[in-house]
Amino acid sequence: MIRIFAFVLGLILALMLIAMPADAQGPAAPKSANATPIATTAMGAILYGAQSANPGEKLFGQKCAFCHIGPSTGKFMLARRLPKGQAELPDRRDLTPDYVKAVVRNGLVNMPTFTRVELTDRELGQIADWLGRKGRK
Amino acid sequence: MSILLPTGMNSAAFDRALGDFRRAIGDPWVLSGEEDRQTYIDPYAMGDGLDHDCSAILAPGSVEEVQAIIRIANQHKTPLWPVSRGKNLGYGAASPKEKGDLILDLSRMNRILDVNEKQASCLIEPGVGYFDLFRYLRERNLPLWMSVPGNSWGSVIGNALDRGIGYTPYGDHCETLCGLEVVLPDGSLLRTGMGAMMGAKGWQSYKYGYGPGWDQMFMQSNLGVVVKAGMWLQPEPEMTAKITLALPRFDDAAWALDILCDLRRRDIIQHNIVFGSPVRAASTMSQRADWYTGPGALPDGVSQQMMAKLGLGWWNAKISLFGDEGSVMAQVALIRRLFEPRLGGPLQFEIWKRGDPLEKSATGIPTTMGLQSVNWYGGRGGHLSFAPVLPQDGDMALAYAKKIKAYYEEVGQDYYASFTIGRRHINNVSLILYNRDEPEAVTRVDKLYRHLLKEAAASGFGEYRGHISYMDEVAATYDFADGALARLNGRVKAALDPNNILAPGRNGITGRAHGGDRP
Repeated sequence: MIRIFAFVLGLILALMLIAMPADAQGPAAPKSANATPIATTAMGAILYGAQSANPGEKLFGQKCAFCHIGPSTGKFMLARRLPKGQAELPDRRDLTPDYVKAVVRNGLVNMPTFTRVELTDRELGQIADWLGRKGRK
Repeated sequence: MSILLPTGMNSAAFDRALGDFRRAIGDPWVLSGEEDRQTYIDPYAMGDGLDHDCSAILAPGSVEEVQAIIRIANQHKTPLWPVSRGKNLGYGAASPKEKGDLILDLSRMNRILDVNEKQASCLIEPGVGYFDLFRYLRERNLPLWMSVPGNSWGSVIGNALDRGIGYTPYGDHCETLCGLEVVLPDGSLLRTGMGAMMGAKGWQSYKYGYGPGWDQMFMQSNLGVVVKAGMWLQPEPEMTAKITLALPRFDDAAWALDILCDLRRRDIIQHNIVFGSPVRAASTMSQRADWYTGPGALPDGVSQQMMAKLGLGWWNAKISLFGDEGSVMAQVALIRRLFEPRLGGPLQFEIWKRGDPLEKSATGIPTTMGLQSVNWYGGRGGHLSFAPVLPQDGDMALAYAKKIKAYYEEVGQDYYASFTIGRRHINNVSLILYNRDEPEAVTRVDKLYRHLLKEAAASGFGEYRGHISYMDEVAATYDFADGALARLNGRVKAALDPNNILAPGRNGITGRAHGGDRP
C-alpha cells in the first residue's frame, strides 16, 4: 500500500509540477519531484485526439481525455488500483466495448455517469469500440 | 426507482404533458425511463440521491424548442429545472431542488456562436463547457485567455449564472457576462443590455443598455432560462509571474490576509486569491488512509507530516501577476519586499513570456483535478461547500476559522478550508468531504453544514451560494426586515411566473413542495 502510494504520489507531484494550472486546486509541488519527464501535459490531454481520423478516438479526446489522460483525476484514481502503465484508458488491453458502455452509463466508484444527452448511444458506441481496440492494434 | 410525478400533477396529466413535449422536441429528447433518470442523479448526493430524483428529462436543441417547452409547461403546470450542463458538482449537479421536477437539460445547445479576437469577447450557448471553449481558442491559436473554475467540467454560462469563480483577472465569472438572451417564464424572448435593440452592434461591448439592467435577475434565480450569453475574454498579456506562498503557521492567516487583501483592493493582484489548508492540497493527490487511519478528525500532528512531506505550509496561497514586463517585474519586486522578511527566504516566481509554452503561464487551463478530493475518505465520494462572505479583515477571518476548525474536530470531520480573497470580501470556504454511502458520514456532514450556516449567520456572515438540499435554509438567513428580500423575490416570481413552472424553490424562491402549487 505504502509503496503504491509513494509511486502514485511521485507521479502526481511530477505531473503537477510540469502541468498543474495556476488555478487548479493544490499547491506547487516540492522541487525534488521534478525528476520524471512526462510527455503528456494538461493541455495535451485537452487537445487529445483532435487530429485523429478515428471518430472514437476523436470523441474520447473531447469527452473523456481531460479525466483519463495526462495529469488527470481519473488517471490518478486508476493508478492506485491498476498495474503500472495501465492508468490511461487507451493503454488498456482488457476493455471490451460492453464494459466501457456499462461504466459510462452506470458510473464506477468516483466516475460519474454520462447521460444520453451529453453522450449519445451512437457516440458512446464509437468510443467503446475504439477503447475495445476494434480497428487498432 | 419507479415512476415519479412532479409536485401537484397526477399521472394522467403528467402523461399528457410528456406527449406534448414529445411532439414539440422529438421523442429521443424526452427521457423518462429509469435508466436515463438514474444518469441524472447527483454523483455527489448524500446517500442515494433519490430525494432529488427527477420525473423526466427534456433536452431541447434550439431556442425555439425551449420556448415551446415553456409554453407547454405553462399549459400543464409542469415544473421544470433548467440546467446548462448539469455539472454543478457540490451544489446538487443536475438534480432539481424539488423531487419530481423535469430537468430541462440545455447540453445540446452547445454552439460557440462568435469569438471576436479584436474586441476580446464571445457569444456562446449554455451547453458550451470550459473544455470546449478552451479547445476552440487553442486550436485557432487565438491570443485570448479564459478564467476557469476549480472543476471545469461544467458550463461556462452555468457557472457564471451561479456566480462561480476562477483565479485569473477574469475570475468573477458573472461580471464577465455581457448581454444575455433569455426565455422568460411565459415563453417570450428577451435580450438584455444593448441586445434589447434590433440589430445592435455593441451587444458584447456594453453591459447595461438603457434603463434598468436585469442581468442579475437571472443569476441564482428562477426567473428565466438563459439561452445565449456574451462574455468577455482576457487579451493575452505579455508576461505572467506565479508563485505559491506557503505560510507555516495557522495564525499566519491574519497578517497574510491583510497584506493580500490590500494588494487585491489596489488591483496589484488582479485575481481571486485562494489560500488553502493542508487537506485541500493533500486530497487532490492522496487519500486520508495514506496519512491516518484513526478515528475522529485528522490530528494537527498528521497535518504537520503532510506539510513536511508535500512542501506545504498551513496556508498555501497562489499568487499570479499579469501584464507587460515592466509592471509584472515591479509587482514581483513589491511582493518579495512584503513577504520575504516575514517568510525568511527568497521567493522564486515562475515567469512566462509570450511565446513560451502556455503551461508555464498563469492562464486558466480547464481541469478536473480538484475532483480528486472526493476520494479522500474512499468509496463513492462527494463534497459539500459552505462559503460565507466575510469583510477583508485578517483578525476577524482568523478568529472565525479557529471556531470552525474546533467544530470540525468536535464532530470528527477532517478540517478542509480555504479563504478566497475577492475584490472587497473574503469567502471562508469550508469544504466538507464524505463517503456518500456511509450513513454516519452523511449524518455528520448534514449536522456540520447546519451548524456552520447558523454559526456564520449569527456572526453576520451570509453564504454566497446554495446546495439544493439547503436552499431554503440559506435563504432564511437573509432576514433583514423580516425577510424583505424573500418577499420581493416572491412578488417578482409571482408576476413573471404565475404558474411557478421554472425551478420552484431555487435559491429559496417560491417552492411548490411545501407551499402548494402557487407562489
